[in-house]
Amino acid sequence: MTTSEPTRRESNGTGDMSDMTMEDAAPRSAVVDRAKALSSIALLDRIFFHVTRAAAVIVLLILGGVIVSLFHGSMPAIKAFGFGFLFSEAWNPVTDKFGALPAIYGTLVTSIIAMLIAMPVGIGIATFLTELCPHALRRPIGIAIELLAGIPSIIYGIWGLFVFAPFVQTHVQPPLISLFGDVPVLSTLFAGPPYGIGLLTAGFILAIMVLPFIASISRDVFETVPPVLKEAAAGIGCTTWEMMRYVVLPYSRVGVIGGIMLGLGRALGETMAVTFVIGNAHKVSPSLLAPGTTISATIANEFTEAVGDLYTASLIELGLILFVITFIVLAIARYMLMRIEQKSA
Amino acid sequence: MNAPAQVKNHATKISVRSLDFYYGGTRALKTISLPLHTHKVTAFIGPSGCGKSTLLRVLNRMYDLYPGQRAEGEVLLDGENILDPAIDLNALRARVGMIFQKPTPFPMSIYENVAFGIRLYERLSRADMDARVEEALRGAAIWDEVKDKLQASGLGLSGGQQQRLCIARSVAVQPEVILFDEPCSALDPISTAKVEELIEELSSRYTIAIVTHNMQQAVRVSDYTAFMYLGELVEFGDTDDVFNRPREKRTQDYITGRFG
Repeated sequence: MTTSEPTRRESNGTGDMSDMTMEDAAPRSAVVDRAKALSSIALLDRIFFHVTRAAAVIVLLILGGVIVSLFHGSMPAIKAFGFGFLFSEAWNPVTDKFGALPAIYGTLVTSIIAMLIAMPVGIGIATFLTELCPHALRRPIGIAIELLAGIPSIIYGIWGLFVFAPFVQTHVQPPLISLFGDVPVLSTLFAGPPYGIGLLTAGFILAIMVLPFIASISRDVFETVPPVLKEAAAGIGCTTWEMMRYVVLPYSRVGVIGGIMLGLGRALGETMAVTFVIGNAHKVSPSLLAPGTTISATIANEFTEAVGDLYTASLIELGLILFVITFIVLAIARYMLMRIEQKSA
Repeated sequence: MNAPAQVKNHATKISVRSLDFYYGGTRALKTISLPLHTHKVTAFIGPSGCGKSTLLRVLNRMYDLYPGQRAEGEVLLDGENILDPAIDLNALRARVGMIFQKPTPFPMSIYENVAFGIRLYERLSRADMDARVEEALRGAAIWDEVKDKLQASGLGLSGGQQQRLCIARSVAVQPEVILFDEPCSALDPISTAKVEELIEELSSRYTIAIVTHNMQQAVRVSDYTAFMYLGELVEFGDTDDVFNRPREKRTQDYITGRFG
């Protein structure tokens, strides 16, 4: 565009001249051409500035629009239930009584389970890939992990329902029940019959889904650690574990926490796969084996059949709550990163 | 190479015997043999790419961190071949410390930088640990500069201070040998002088090998000098002899600045 613009203008301004005269005049008008070219470049630059600014403004407008419409849509529910909505376990479309507690509880519990599993495993994978893995295996394993992130969540859902949940039901939950049956606290966490589907299974599936984020981001930031720093650690007799724990992780913690938060964000909002395996029961159960629900699963399941303003408004308010939770998580992450940076400075 | 035979009688800490080193298919060291004498400073000089850093990295098997690099021959540390695959690398590297071209403080406090290495091998009481950290920092001539800010991050120190902190960290583990890989190339002249002085002091307790591009530095700090060229050991002997009465023409050309 920058190159064609001046030529076009010139031919516009000298439309009556023949090709011959234009060629003759070319060397003499070089200075004029340059000024023209510069002014058109300046124009382009202004357009470029406005386009990029518009793109940035649009993001803010969309964000604001989402917040406003979520508020507007959930107004009936907010008026009807007030803050009680957050703490009520009721979910009865017939009597028009709704509460968000089971969904919030399920969302947080499944995400926590997912992070508890995915964090150590993801960092372990990253450590193996950067420090211990034979060279020939690095790329295949790295690519496999990135492919894991590319699997659509609906596939995790059907796999979870037809393959993974039955496996958990027969091979994971019974041992857990018998193992922790007599231990205080843990016995309540693992009480009840092994349904297969439930909070624990949903947490497992989420762990698999967020694993690639944590693993690949951790691997990338581990690779930014200067080799000489690792050599220095090895040089005073550190084992690989000590080098990772005391040198590589502290050096790259900001990036690792970023990866973990990205994974957490996905776990909180993940809908399809969770809907398949969580059991969709509106109750708060202390047992991880019991079926439950999450905010996004509830919305996905019930939006089409929501009749009545209050039902719809309650679902929209759930969406608003999820928005707020995600915002809080991100804010905490930012705050933590800030604290860490201040401390190390 | 019959150089080692000419050296006066000194106890030998490390004895390199017919060492070959390969980066994949490239032969970087060609049948090197030389001794490192106990409590003496040995300098490795030579143009870039001559293999002097490579040789240094064999002495604590740092090359083991990278696939495709291998050494053949023998390197005896107190008579024990450290190229033996069965040797405990962590223990070896605790015995043979290393200081790098760029300072490498760990992302932790000054105190922790030193205490960290000690903790890997010893369980000490708080008071004993404080004493060991102070001793190491004094040993590296940095105690007076940092004693009031031991809990501050090691990354906040100047380049020269960071380098001496790394030396303190290395000394704290109580190694027997310390390898310096161009320790002053990132430092200003004043810091360089401090580090050189420190190397001289340390040589009363440790066996030291130093790679340097600065020939004056080699003259100042070392007792023995090895001149290397294209992966070969050209000449090894008393620093005084190598610089004043070189036996090889290539050595003479290099130290008089005719090439390299």
